[in-house]
Amino acid sequence: MSAPFSAHPPPSARPKPARPAPHAPSLESVTTINEDGSHYKLHPADSRGRFLLWRRLSAWVLFAIYLSLPWIPVDGYPAVLLDVANSRFHFFGYTLAAQDTWLLFFAVTGLGFSLFFVTALLGRIWCGWACPQTVFLEHVYRALERMIEGDAPARRALDAAPWSGAKLARRLAKHAAYVAVSLVIAHLFLAYFVSIPELWSFMRSAPGEHWAAFVFVFLFAGILYFNFSWFREQLCIVICPYGRLQSALTDDHTLTIGYDAKRGEPRGKLGTAGAGDCVACNRCVQVCPTGIDIRHGLQLECIGCAACIDACDEVMTRIHRPTGLIRYDSLAGLGGGRTRWVRPRTIVYAVLLFIGAAVAAFAYTTVKPASFLVYRMGGGAYFVDREIVRNQFMVRLLNKRSDAAAFEVQVDAPGYVHRSGLEQPVTLAPMAEQVTPLVLTVDRGRYEGSFKFVVRVRDIAGQFTLQREVEFLGPDPRLLQEEDHDKGIKR
Amino acid sequence: MSQTPNQPPSHEDDRLRPHTYDGIQEYDKRLPNWWLYTLYGTIVFSIVYWFAHQTAAVIPADGAQVDHAMAEISAQKMSTSIDVTNDKLFWEMSRNPVFVESGRQTYNSLCVACHLPSMRGKGENPAAVGPDLIDTAWLHGGTPKEIYVTVDKGVPAKGMAPWGPVIGAKKTAEVVAYILSHHQEGEPITVQTNPGH
Repeated sequence: MSAPFSAHPPPSARPKPARPAPHAPSLESVTTINEDGSHYKLHPADSRGRFLLWRRLSAWVLFAIYLSLPWIPVDGYPAVLLDVANSRFHFFGYTLAAQDTWLLFFAVTGLGFSLFFVTALLGRIWCGWACPQTVFLEHVYRALERMIEGDAPARRALDAAPWSGAKLARRLAKHAAYVAVSLVIAHLFLAYFVSIPELWSFMRSAPGEHWAAFVFVFLFAGILYFNFSWFREQLCIVICPYGRLQSALTDDHTLTIGYDAKRGEPRGKLGTAGAGDCVACNRCVQVCPTGIDIRHGLQLECIGCAACIDACDEVMTRIHRPTGLIRYDSLAGLGGGRTRWVRPRTIVYAVLLFIGAAVAAFAYTTVKPASFLVYRMGGGAYFVDREIVRNQFMVRLLNKRSDAAAFEVQVDAPGYVHRSGLEQPVTLAPMAEQVTPLVLTVDRGRYEGSFKFVVRVRDIAGQFTLQREVEFLGPDPRLLQEEDHDKGIKR
Repeated sequence: MSQTPNQPPSHEDDRLRPHTYDGIQEYDKRLPNWWLYTLYGTIVFSIVYWFAHQTAAVIPADGAQVDHAMAEISAQKMSTSIDVTNDKLFWEMSRNPVFVESGRQTYNSLCVACHLPSMRGKGENPAAVGPDLIDTAWLHGGTPKEIYVTVDKGVPAKGMAPWGPVIGAKKTAEVVAYILSHHQEGEPITVQTNPGH
């Protein structure tokens, strides 16, 4: 390639490149994928500024949350423990059982509505500030790479350098650091499912004893290592479905990162007559982690990381021009108009979010710390003998609390129904469940056909009551009368 | 989009696909190599898997895998179960306080509803559902192994549930031991085959 600042040679003399320089971003292809399909490894330059500072702070807060949740005990369990093996899910002292899986619906739709609303309003704020891909990549893996291999020019030089002892040492150090961090993240991830003490006992025993956990952690760490050492921005550009949905969720009034073309164009070196504020220094391109030129406008590769804002603001400050040539603004705002925050799209998404949140809040408050079920015992639906009509049920009681609780089972049925079983309160250990028979009988003479009754479970502490309606089944009473008549039994 | 400054020149050598949808045309660019290798990898895997599973049967057929898993489960069950045809063993268990105590607990949570806490059932209260388990009269056989079969398989026509599948062989045997702890080996047994209801 000819030096970018030299005068263009006449077209005939310009050699046609075998492949266009991949690191010159264009709107027509993805910078990080070369014409031949190979991956172009980016070396984003360091940016400095207020957004980097805030992003780094928020990233460390997020790390702290991720690393500490399994260690904080709440009511005898880790703050978050997704105990898949026992189907018990603990969230800050709130325990859900497999029976409560329906609540997942509200969690998932709530996440969906929140993303809709936040995206319509603030664009890809999630991608740049909170997504684990960005947070781990920018603030851990790239930070390690910067520490071991130096800044962007040094890394490029190292890539181009022939293999030597020094290069090998740096590469080994970098990849060892990547592997170590990946293993820590993967182990902590497993701790969310098995708790820290359990994880520690897994780690001290032979891999064969808990081979599933072993394979999971090392496979997951391997995927993390591959993703963060090589794959990187490809995940955001090609795989992430949220990134692909952006164009359907945003409009001209959504907050994005953009270049103020009115102010910047035409570009020119400092001192060029008639030039706009953009001095064509290319800093915004050099710092971009997905390799785009933000001055081409909004592009699918932009993850809203604000590195170009910091880079441009730094240059503008140095040449004493107002900052904000590249800034957080809507397309309308960048075009000179006014951003409308309140608009049909944001109102509709906000209403959906509010309705979803209200219904979810209601649903979660209806969850009782116990659950029970009444079902028929195996065998016939009912039994008839000379004296009685009988129905046999099983009552399954589950204590979802982390301490023992006693329950009283009441049967709300007409007075002539005789009940047997569960006369005494049932005490259940934490997380224990018990199945107990409940037999109801009606004297043949008093039997008047099937009827419905209610089984009520009250906890002895008097905090809540659960109830279910059950049907007492039996034959048509006229059949019994005929049978009795035939046999000459007096009623 | 309201701004498209600085359009880079289009590459003349890029092949433009002939179709146009909603005024949008597209280039025929090469897919990322990692994407292609993933595709080739899945193709290779499907051939290997098909060969190993369907043709060479290196991986056993699905039905055989299920049979094998079921056999493992039943082997595990058998290894923890008790010889339920051995009357002598039941009588020994019925004199072992550990077995009797765990049998009593199971009885008190599951059996009392019909046979009453006293185990006397109809013998104590004619309105009770289950028959007397203390007396020497039996409806479905009074030897230990017969009692075991009654508890294990139930008497569905009468409403006695099959408890074996619910509580397992060990607890069933413990309950039988608890019942036998109220009886003596060699006591006379009367079997009422037709109890009249």
